[in-house]
Amino acid sequence: MLNNFIFIVLPYAALALIIFVTPYRYFSNRLTWSAYSTQFLERKTLFWGANPWHYGIIPVLAAHLLGVIFPGPMKAFLGNEFNLLVFESIGLALGLFAVFGCLILTLRRVNTPLLKRVTFASDWVLLYLLLAQSLTGVYVATFMRWGSQWYLHTAVPYLWSLLTFNPQIEYVTDFPLVFKLHAAGAFVIVALLPFTKLVHMLYLPFDFLKDPPILYRWRTK
Amino acid sequence: MNVRAQLVMVFNLDKCIGCHTCSISCKNIWTDRKGAEYMWWNNVETKPGVGYPQKWENQDKFKGGWVVEGRKLRLRAMGKGPTLLNMFFQPNMPKLDDYYEPFDFDYSNLYKAPPGSDQPVAEAYSQISGERIEKIASGPNWDDDLSGSQVYAVEDVNLEDRKIVEDYGRMFMHYLPRICNHCLNPACVASCPSRALYKRGEDGVVLVDQDVCKGWRFCTSACPYKKVYFNWQSGKAEKCIFCFPRTETGQCNACAHSCVGRIRHVGVLLYDADRVEAALLKPDDQLVAAHREVILNPRDPQVREAARKNGVSDQWLEAAEKSPVYALVKEFAVALPLHPEFRTMPMAYYIPSLSPVISSGADLHELADHGTFPLLEKMRAPIGFLASLLSGGNQEIIAEILRKQIALRLFKRAGNLGQPIEESILKNAGLDEAGANRLYRLFTIGGYTERNVIPTQQREELDSHQRKGASGFGILKKTRGPK
Repeated sequence: MLNNFIFIVLPYAALALIIFVTPYRYFSNRLTWSAYSTQFLERKTLFWGANPWHYGIIPVLAAHLLGVIFPGPMKAFLGNEFNLLVFESIGLALGLFAVFGCLILTLRRVNTPLLKRVTFASDWVLLYLLLAQSLTGVYVATFMRWGSQWYLHTAVPYLWSLLTFNPQIEYVTDFPLVFKLHAAGAFVIVALLPFTKLVHMLYLPFDFLKDPPILYRWRTK
Repeated sequence: MNVRAQLVMVFNLDKCIGCHTCSISCKNIWTDRKGAEYMWWNNVETKPGVGYPQKWENQDKFKGGWVVEGRKLRLRAMGKGPTLLNMFFQPNMPKLDDYYEPFDFDYSNLYKAPPGSDQPVAEAYSQISGERIEKIASGPNWDDDLSGSQVYAVEDVNLEDRKIVEDYGRMFMHYLPRICNHCLNPACVASCPSRALYKRGEDGVVLVDQDVCKGWRFCTSACPYKKVYFNWQSGKAEKCIFCFPRTETGQCNACAHSCVGRIRHVGVLLYDADRVEAALLKPDDQLVAAHREVILNPRDPQVREAARKNGVSDQWLEAAEKSPVYALVKEFAVALPLHPEFRTMPMAYYIPSLSPVISSGADLHELADHGTFPLLEKMRAPIGFLASLLSGGNQEIIAEILRKQIALRLFKRAGNLGQPIEESILKNAGLDEAGANRLYRLFTIGGYTERNVIPTQQREELDSHQRKGASGFGILKKTRGPK
């Protein structure tokens, strides 16, 4: 029952929400499409929070995605013991870095009176959710060794089975609870993404790299 | 030749009385909103002073504007690669304390306070946190009229001799009203990774597309004038929109319209967009001359032809011909860009203020040949200070303009008193009688339509969906949280 909920209901609900709500938000009110930076109001602690968090979580997230997109090459790459060791160590370090950042960000929200008026329920939900998610991630990385390898043989085929609308949850149902929490957390985060400030991660500034510096807009041209 | 039109404002500092009426009218129209309380799209500073935000001119601190690197311009703060790496924490962004914590007073306490032996007071509270403020530490114009000069005015980066503000006998001041300069080479536009900032092709107004802005905050630090602000409520950047809903219909900007001293002129300049970058590669002291080179003569048939080809309408060409701005900036060359060495090519120009007739300190009454004004070097406001502010350090340009202003005054004074005037005075200053009379009208009695020549936009040419969507500030839709 729980397995069905976590591994079938949640991911499809999340998928549906991100596919339908994101464009709706984009076209209905883009005025809310912002990272809602609070650096203007508080910057000293933010430096120690936002930087470790983003620089920790982005590579970790990218590694998760890489495993899903290129399972073959990743298997080959991590088949080498040395590669696996280095990969796992870097991953764990980045994970801890992210946890540290997220912790700082949470404490910052708690302790800065100036941030009271720009902190909404969604900010707390996200902070605690992301903190929990990175903590379960670090736990899995520490106590369920070589996750980068077994992930490719369990979670990845399961995720592919989701995408082909033929969910094969037996790949993942035998894992301990902490793994299930990590998976459930991931789906909840994806589900919340279109409703919260997390949408800021859906925009990657690549146009800016190739455009000429000064942008003109003409009424008539 | 790539001719474009730009709406430009000229400020006559000689007439600014520092009344802040411009700031108030701007505030009431545009930034009287949550998240924008601390913003003053138009503000008036006392010079010497640290300004708003404090020390905005100090680019060692805020890293705004452009620098020349070889034969190229680059943003002083960082290139595109480092921009991507600094998205999560922006190292050069001014913080709230650099402006001030916006406050209001709790007037309800005046009638709600319980009976007691003390008179109730309206206590200050923060407009951001809502908490009571024990002691207001700063405000939008904290060093007005040289208040706290030993703390603030001495920090003015334009001062050569900081002791001058401690010496009552030599002290000087003038006001500096500032809006967004709507630059030809805007650093804010170039720094935006989301490409939310843009320059309007038709009138050169620089706007933030609120739908595209993601709040990365690079513009707030890249602008060397610190005229792009971060709205802490909407999480987006906002800036002066040159009152485009007014100018589009031929009305004057709110700040210029309400100006008590009538120091402001609004009009069209035609410029050659292809020459902008080359002009900005010149050394600091040649930048003003380079600015003037970029501005084109609207009466030149070749310029008019090229302008028409670029879609500049006849109405705009006519306005460019009559433009008071063109007269002041190019014909008479009395108006100068603010800090041209920031290399954004600002399109707001300032006529430097002429010092009081009294000479400075010990050299009191050491007057020039004509016997009314002190020698230029002995003027109360040091030429070096004005040059650092308005001409990239070129003192000769400032001297030329002051000479013109003095000659003009002597000419009109002689006229008033029915005295003959030596023709050489006007001639030496590069003026003739007709020119002097025209300049006099512009400086003094010129009416609303002489001071401001603003052609309308042909908005009807625009697709109605597009027209509806274009606004440079975030108040049309709900942002987040309770209103």
